[in-house]
Amino acid sequence: MLGSIITPDLFAAALRMATPLALAAIGGTICERSGVVNIALEGIMLTGAFFGTVVALATGNPWLGVIAAMVSGVIVSAIHAFASINLRADQVVSGTAINILALGVTGFMMERLYGHPGTTDPSAMLRPVFKFAMADGGFLGTIWNWINGIFLSHTPIVYMAIIIAIVAQWAMYKTRWGLHLRALGEHPRAVDTVGVNVFRGRWVAVLISGALAGLAGANLTLEQVGSFTENMTNGRGFIALAANIFGRWTPVGSYLASLLFGFADALQIKLQIFRGQIDIPPQFFLMLPYVLTVVVLAGVVGRAVAPAAIGKPYEKE
Amino acid sequence: MPVLELREITKVFPGVVANDRVSLVLERGEIVALLGENGAGKSTLMNVVYGLLSSDGGQVLVDDKPVKIKSPRQAIDLGIGMVHQHFMLVEPLTVTENIVLGREPGRFGVIDFTTAHKKVQEIATRYGLKVDPDARIMDLSVGMQQRVEILKALYQGARVLILDEPTAVLTPQEAKELFSVVRSLVDEGLSVVFITHKLEEVMSVSDRIIVMRDGRVVGETKPSETDDVGLARMMVGRDVVLSVEKGPSECAAEVLEVTDLHVKDDRGLEAVRGVSFTVCGGEIVALAGVSGNGQSELIEAIVGLRRPVGGRLMLKGVDITHASARVSIEAGVSHIPEDRHRRGLVLEFDLAENLILGDHRMPPYATRGIMHPSAVTATAEKRIADYDIRTPSWHVLASNLSGGNQQKVVVAREIGRNPELLVAAQPTRGLDVGAIEFVHRQILKERESGKAVLLVSLELEEVLSLADRILVIYEGRIVREFTAGEADEETLGYFMTGGGGTKLEDEGRTEHAEMAEGDA
Repeated sequence: MLGSIITPDLFAAALRMATPLALAAIGGTICERSGVVNIALEGIMLTGAFFGTVVALATGNPWLGVIAAMVSGVIVSAIHAFASINLRADQVVSGTAINILALGVTGFMMERLYGHPGTTDPSAMLRPVFKFAMADGGFLGTIWNWINGIFLSHTPIVYMAIIIAIVAQWAMYKTRWGLHLRALGEHPRAVDTVGVNVFRGRWVAVLISGALAGLAGANLTLEQVGSFTENMTNGRGFIALAANIFGRWTPVGSYLASLLFGFADALQIKLQIFRGQIDIPPQFFLMLPYVLTVVVLAGVVGRAVAPAAIGKPYEKE
Repeated sequence: MPVLELREITKVFPGVVANDRVSLVLERGEIVALLGENGAGKSTLMNVVYGLLSSDGGQVLVDDKPVKIKSPRQAIDLGIGMVHQHFMLVEPLTVTENIVLGREPGRFGVIDFTTAHKKVQEIATRYGLKVDPDARIMDLSVGMQQRVEILKALYQGARVLILDEPTAVLTPQEAKELFSVVRSLVDEGLSVVFITHKLEEVMSVSDRIIVMRDGRVVGETKPSETDDVGLARMMVGRDVVLSVEKGPSECAAEVLEVTDLHVKDDRGLEAVRGVSFTVCGGEIVALAGVSGNGQSELIEAIVGLRRPVGGRLMLKGVDITHASARVSIEAGVSHIPEDRHRRGLVLEFDLAENLILGDHRMPPYATRGIMHPSAVTATAEKRIADYDIRTPSWHVLASNLSGGNQQKVVVAREIGRNPELLVAAQPTRGLDVGAIEFVHRQILKERESGKAVLLVSLELEEVLSLADRILVIYEGRIVREFTAGEADEETLGYFMTGGGGTKLEDEGRTEHAEMAEGDA
């Protein structure tokens, strides 16, 4: 039975499941490194997923859907940026409000646009990037099939997430923007006194996180499911936050942590198939990713240190 | 031609004139000390120069040209650098990253770390400020961090360096190093403004001294033309008694009795290893020692903040060995903690609340769990008057007071409670001469009224002037006891740093005692 659980498509599914988490988690990393808590990732992702489908349905072009998802993510995150940076509102409250707002707005607009709640019609989707033939038999053939199955079977945003993780990591540690970002979340006054604009730096970071969370939403609807369902993010934004913490507020760390959560999710789905043979209630498997989140957030896996100025609005003297 | 000139700078905060037409001239290559009590307006003035505050009047001239400085960035561009009291360093970043922050070398937004390193090294060697460019700030000592701040200013091209109370956070050794660094900077043609309230520093480093009081310049002098007493008079505006007058003490009755006390520190290591002593009513006993030799743990055990692992604490015949802080307060122990921000005050509370904290459960402030605000404010108003706390009213938050006034709040509360035993840990840390004098007088008053005082201080001068008996603590043991007049700074320093060894005979005795205990 183990042989039929551990197959290339288990790992492929892990990569796939990790993608929305990773994109949102990297967004969270960038946002939190600037000193702004972004608990709104969940709502932004949901908004992105919705508008991605709306535009894909209207135009028939999934790529326009992706752009719409990112733009809507940026717009929603601008609300968060304005509230938490300019108005110095409590960032957790602002984020929570946005999550509730996103849930309501997407549900409401669905009724208005399509006349029914629940799930939309299927939209056009993004296709896998490569299409390689399976090899048959032999040792080399098996290896090829594993590589092909795990790494070469994916849709564009899955690869984009990997590239974004690497580029963001590089930018964070090698560029001016990255240095300012890292300093912003630790000691904004120090950044201010050397003449770097704290407000602008934080705004940019929050908007980037919105674009990435929107892209995560596009991945859900336009690559994985093919239609929008109310509240389909189902807590992924929060799991992404956990992945960001587990990844110690670094982009690559966030990606790897998301991979772990993605694997838990993939395994859970896989084990559902064998529920007849394994004498464990299926709800237990469903719990896996969430239990993992709680374990991570409780600091069981080593304590991570958050940016010192996180959640604190900046005020000029 | 002066590098920096201030003409009639005025800065008004709601209700206070922080700077009242202050003028000042700084020449190339000189060290000017800006001396004044806490709240005299020194930092405000320099924050105006550095562009952190905007002035309400007056003119700033750099190289004889009038300038408007609206942001630190502009100040930096004009060659003015400032090292703040609270460092503007990003802890998890490296030394190099902190120094180049905001002015990173590189192209297309990509930082050229090789060049950055080289530049930092260059400046470090040129001014003799050795530091590891790859170390993280959080791993550096405070003295080193300050060095990074100075390097940062130099990297930004500072010709005028403002140091805001630079020695407040340094050990005496680090302070000495800082002074020699400042000297070498001036030799290289820089000009330094040095904000401080410590008289001996002013006398030893500065070329010129400008004294401020209540937002005004009240005098200018040179170290060669004045002395400690003269400076103190200028600064406070009246004669200050730097030495303390007191009569001989008489032991009325033993108030605190510490017997073979053992206390562990946060890491579980034994920090206090078998300490025994007594404190009488009408007596000040001082605990002298280098920081980290078990003083903090010993105090915490006495005031109920830490459980001793062995030994006994008696207060007037009552066993308080395992008393909680609450029980210990009720038994008559008052505590002026060494860190007033962390333990002495609730900064977000107003003065009235802070002034009765700890007694808030007891009448007249509360009966059956219900607070009586009128009783609280009545006491607060009385204490504000009695202890000369400078504040518009008791409504003010503790965080809005100057350090000296915050300490007065703590002292007012702890002494106002009328305790049997006053434990004062570094009661004058960070205070200016006027406030120090005040706190010392309050402590002496307690002694005169027959209360027991246990003083812990790193300032030997304070220990020598106040104490009737001095216990020298080293590595968790009391290695020597002196009576007043028996010791001087040198002898104390010798024993504090382990000069007398850990006293073999004494240790032998303690071990025997432990064995005897084990046998029993």
